[in-house]
Amino acid sequence: MTQRRVAITGLGIISPYGGDLPDFFARLLAGESAVHFLHTDDIPRPLAIPFVSCHGFNPDEALGRPLAGMMDRFAQLGTAAAFNAWADAGLSRGEPAKEESESRDNWGVAWGTALGGTLAYEKGYRELWQKGRERVSPLSVILGMNNAANAHISIQLGLGGVSMSHTVACASSAIAIGEAFRRVRSGEATVMLTGGSDAPQAYGVARAWEALRVMASGDANTSPYACRPFSADRTGLVLGEGGAALVLEDWEHAVARGARIHGEMVGYGTSCDHSHLVRPEAAGQVRALNAALSDAGLAPEQIDYINAHGTATAEGDPVEVAALKLVFGEHAARLPVSASKSMHGHQLGAAGAIEAIVTVLALREQAIPPTAHLKALDPACTGVDHVTSGRRHQPLQAALSNSFAFGGSNAVLAFRAPA
Amino acid sequence: MESLDLIREFLKDHVGLDPEKVTAEAELAEIGVDSLMMLELMFEFEDRCGITLSSDLKSPKTVGEMVTLMDRLRSEQS
Repeated sequence: MTQRRVAITGLGIISPYGGDLPDFFARLLAGESAVHFLHTDDIPRPLAIPFVSCHGFNPDEALGRPLAGMMDRFAQLGTAAAFNAWADAGLSRGEPAKEESESRDNWGVAWGTALGGTLAYEKGYRELWQKGRERVSPLSVILGMNNAANAHISIQLGLGGVSMSHTVACASSAIAIGEAFRRVRSGEATVMLTGGSDAPQAYGVARAWEALRVMASGDANTSPYACRPFSADRTGLVLGEGGAALVLEDWEHAVARGARIHGEMVGYGTSCDHSHLVRPEAAGQVRALNAALSDAGLAPEQIDYINAHGTATAEGDPVEVAALKLVFGEHAARLPVSASKSMHGHQLGAAGAIEAIVTVLALREQAIPPTAHLKALDPACTGVDHVTSGRRHQPLQAALSNSFAFGGSNAVLAFRAPA
Repeated sequence: MESLDLIREFLKDHVGLDPEKVTAEAELAEIGVDSLMMLELMFEFEDRCGITLSSDLKSPKTVGEMVTLMDRLRSEQS
């Protein structure tokens, strides 16, 4: 079967820095942290954690009032990011314009979310158990369902092909992007809108993550520096909200309509550690990395940059570096690696998509954002070229983005610079 | 609160609709009240007026029909 080339023709983001892509990337290159100290008024014990919020995001402005009201925040963030990516790709919303005579019946959506509409569910629980009410909003089900974002996106963009959601913890949107990539490459879909979104600021969700003892500590002064991947003094991950979307398109279709091509997606590898729910294993990550390289037809020496999963947990970071050394051998020491989560936090189901965009922009702009706040490297994380400050004018041809999830699910995405 | 005012307030909050456009003749579907929003409206109506709507209630088509229905239920259950 002939495989089609896959162009990336649209990028869209709702990030803590806003929705402007050049600004987003410039801030990351400068090492600017978006982490702040979240302090709530919850009873009996307020949340007081480092967190990443999309303060500037106004759902009514981005989506319009009736539509925004039919969505939980995760779907609002996701649909707004999808709108941005769609506009960036130069495509019209809803029914195709008259000059676009082709059908969108095989155009689809693959979306990632780890939590779905958890804020809607929590609101219902509060109504029932905190306020003593006997019923919840009739919209609770459609607000909460995990496929709400992709359903809204398909409806709003007028896409008649597959519409699916992937819930694979922190690898959710990386796997969504990979599955979308396969559909375009095989010719099953001409265009796929893909990405992910999550809004984990529900009280119960934050408390659950806290109980796992993987959350970074921080206060009003130290929160901006709370996420320190690969650092000897790291204390854990920082949760955040956000949405990110990519338009993957049949290369020839993109060229024929004169679309701007940000880059090319060339490979996808996935695997499962099949050993432990939360303790990662290098062997599983090695399988995903090798699968992505093989799928892309790239040798390890051809990889010029890796956007690491790099959450800043005690167990995760050294295992990821160990996996990179196993796959890249002698090349590992010269391989630039950075964890942009140090600045934009961990958006769970959106993380893979945000980092895919960071990787595509790195290739397009020939620049590598750093792992911020990395001053004292953990001796267990040595052996790769850790990027500790933004690097410009880099000759980057190919790069990988890693996502390694609880449950042992691993996903690696491979990209090339625009031809 | 009068039933019409309650509907107007709901639609202003949820759809951003100008209250003057919410007239008795207006068709609910045409002013943006689909089946899901009708559920929300009925839910709010039950909450605000302290009444219970039966699950097999026939959905009104116009704002006027909605007002009539709400007024009847309020008087029956008061």
